Amino acid sequence: MAQEGLFNVGFLTFPGRCVGEDIVSWNKIIGIMGALHSMAGGPAYLDLSEKTGFSLEQIGILHKRFKQLSHNEETLLREDFNTIPDLACNPIRTQIIEAFFDRRNFQQNAEGTVQEIGFEEFLVVMSYFRPPSQHMTEEQRENVRKEKLRFLFNMHDTDNDGTITLEEYRHVVEELLSHSGALGKETAKGIADAAMLEVASISMGHMEPDEIYEGITFDHFLKLLEEFEIESRMNIRFLNMDTTNLCK
Amino acid sequence: MAWFVFPDDSLLCMCLGISFTVWFTLLLVFIIVPAILGVSFGIRRVYMRTLIKIFEWATLRMERGAKEKNHHLHKPYSNGIIAKEPSSLEQEIQELRGLGSSLGSEPEFGMADIFYFCRRGVESIVDDEVIKRFSAQELESWNLLTRSNYNFRHISLRLRVLWGLGLVTRYGFLLPLRVTLAVTGIGLLLVLTTLVGFLPSGKLRNHLSEKVHLMCYRICVRALTAIITYHNRQNKPKNGGICVANHTTPIDVIILANDGCYSMVGQVHGGLMGVVQRAMVKSSPHIWFERSEVKDRHLVAKRLSDHVADKSKQPILIFPEGTCINNTSVMMFKKGSFEIGCTVYPVAIKYDPRFGDAFWNSSKFGMVNYLLRMMSSWAIVCSVWYLPPMNREEGEDAMQFANRVKAAIAAQGGLVDLIWDGGLKRAKVKDVFKEEQQKLYSKVLVGDQEDQSEDNPVANGGLEPKEEESTQGCVVGDRGND
Repeated sequence: MAQEGLFNVGFLTFPGRCVGEDIVSWNKIIGIMGALHSMAGGPAYLDLSEKTGFSLEQIGILHKRFKQLSHNEETLLREDFNTIPDLACNPIRTQIIEAFFDRRNFQQNAEGTVQEIGFEEFLVVMSYFRPPSQHMTEEQRENVRKEKLRFLFNMHDTDNDGTITLEEYRHVVEELLSHSGALGKETAKGIADAAMLEVASISMGHMEPDEIYEGITFDHFLKLLEEFEIESRMNIRFLNMDTTNLCK
Repeated sequence: MAWFVFPDDSLLCMCLGISFTVWFTLLLVFIIVPAILGVSFGIRRVYMRTLIKIFEWATLRMERGAKEKNHHLHKPYSNGIIAKEPSSLEQEIQELRGLGSSLGSEPEFGMADIFYFCRRGVESIVDDEVIKRFSAQELESWNLLTRSNYNFRHISLRLRVLWGLGLVTRYGFLLPLRVTLAVTGIGLLLVLTTLVGFLPSGKLRNHLSEKVHLMCYRICVRALTAIITYHNRQNKPKNGGICVANHTTPIDVIILANDGCYSMVGQVHGGLMGVVQRAMVKSSPHIWFERSEVKDRHLVAKRLSDHVADKSKQPILIFPEGTCINNTSVMMFKKGSFEIGCTVYPVAIKYDPRFGDAFWNSSKFGMVNYLLRMMSSWAIVCSVWYLPPMNREEGEDAMQFANRVKAAIAAQGGLVDLIWDGGLKRAKVKDVFKEEQQKLYSKVLVGDQEDQSEDNPVANGGLEPKEEESTQGCVVGDRGND
C-alpha cells in the first residue's frame, strides 16, 4: 500500500511515496523511531519489532513485564507462569503455558518443547495475539489468520502428529468442563464424542460405516473455523497505543 | 589551657574545629531540641515545597527536550497495559456461536469456545492485578533520582548539573546528617529506656516511658526527613484496642509511633534489633515471641487478648497484610487479629512517591541497602489517616470484619482494594479457582441460570491453607520471613 504526500521520518520531512516496507528500511538507516527506553534495547528492539510486528513502545512494555514475571532473570520457566493468580483461574492454563514453550510456535520450523524461554521467544508467541494493523493486504490478512489458527491447532495437537485425534480433543473438552456439578464425567465424555462426530461429518461428508475417522487435520481445522472472525477475538488491545504514524 | 594555644600551621585544625562546633550546635538547636520538646520549626515543609518546584521544572525541561528531538517520553501505564473486555463468560460464548443459536436443548461444544479462554489467559499473562503490586510504583515526573529515571536520554546540560548538585547534596550533606541522627536516636532509646526500667512500676514510670519513646521516635523521623501529615487525630487508637494499618515498609512503625505510643508485636531477633527489643520491653509492655511460639496460634491469640484486656496497656500495632505491598493497593488481611474481639482502630498510610520510594522490595534489597536508599532520598512524605473505630457486628465472622476494615482503609487512602493474599509474593494459587471457571462454563453449556449463592472461593485470598504461616499478619520484627 503506497501513499502520496508528505511523510515524516523523525524530524525530517520528505515528499514522496511511502510504502510499508520502505518505512522500516528508512528507519533503520536513519535510526529514529518512537521511544527507545533502555540502553541495551536500541538495535535489538528494532530487529524484534520487524520480526514480530509490535511497535517499539509495546516491546518496551512487554520487556518490563517479562522481567517482572521472571524476577529479573534472563529466561522464563513454567513455574513463573504459575505465579499469576488470574491465569490460575483459567481452565486451559496448562495448554496456554505449554504453548509458550512449544518450539512449533517459535517460527523456526522446529519441534518439541523447551524448558525455558528468553524474551525473544516470549515476544514471538505474543505476536500471535498482536492487534491487527490497519494497513494489510488481503493476502497478509489471510496469512495472519492462518498463523493464529495454526497456534490454536498446535495447542490441541499435543503429540505433534499433524492431527487432533479424538483423545486429544476429548482432553481439551474435559479441561473446559467441570468434573463435578452440572455435568457428570460421562456427560462430558458424551459431549466430546458428539462434537467430534460433528466435526467428522463436516469435514468428511458422508462416511462409510467401517471408516475410521483419523482426526482433524489442519485443513479440516481451517474449514471448520472459516466463518469465525478470529482477528478481533484473538488479539490483545494495548491502551494508548502510540503507533508512530509515518504516512501522513 | 594548653589546647587554647594553636600553632600557626594548625589553621586547618582550627577551621575544622569551628565548623564541627557550628555543625553540632545547629544540629542540636534545630533538630534534637525540637524533637525532645515535640515542636517543629517547619523547615521540612519549606524544603518539601522547594523540591516540588524543582521537580516540576525538571520535568518541563525533559518534555521540552524530548519534543525537540521528536521523541516520546516514557509514560507509566498506571491504569494497566491492555484493555480488558468487561463482558462475562456467557456473553462471549453467545457471541462466538452467533446470536440466535440455541444453547438450551442439547449441550454442545463449539470448537471456537476455546478462543475466549485462550485470550483471557494471554491477557492475564500480559497484565494482571497482583504481580505488579510487588514492584515499585512508577512516577509521572522525574524527581532527580537516577533510580527512578526512565527518560535519561532527554537530559539537557542544565538538568545534568542540577542532578549532580542533587547527588552531592544528598550523599555529602543529607546522608551523614541522617546517619548521625539515627545513631543518636537509637542510642538515646537504648540508654533512656534502660534507665526508666529501673523505676518501680507505676504512673510515673509509664509517663516517663511514653515521653522517652516519643522523643526517640521523633529523632528517628527527622533522621529520615519524614514529613508526615496526620488527619483526624480525634480517632487516635486508645488503650485496650488494636491498631491495624496497611503495610509498605518497616518504616511504617516509626511513622505511627511518632504520634502515639503503641505496643509492638514481633519475633525476638538477635543482633542490634534484639538489643533494641530487650531495651524497649524494660520500660513498656511490648509483645515479643520466640520463634517457636509464633506457629502456635492459640498462644499468640491468648497473649494478644490478655494484653488487650488490661486497659492500662497501650494499643497493639499490627499489620494484617503480612508482607510489604507497594502502596498502590491493599491486599487481603489475615483474620487472626480480628478474632480477638476488641475494638479495631484502622489507620491508612499513603506515601507520596515523588520524594523517595518507601516500598521495601525484600526480594531486591536487603535491609541495610534499603535503609541506605531511604536515607539518600530527598524525603519521605506521607499522610496518615486515623479512621473511626470499628467493632465486629452481630452475625459477622472474622473474615468479613477484616474485609470491611480493609475496604475502609483502601477507600481513605485512595488505594485499590484487592481480595488477593499478599503471600502470593511467594506462594501459588489454589486449584479451586480453575474449578470455578470450569463450573461456569459447564453451566453455560447446559443452559442453567448462574447460581449466585455459591461459596466464595476467594475466602482465603487464594492461598493453600497450609501455606499460611501465621494468621496474625505481619508482626514487627518479622523481617526474616519477609
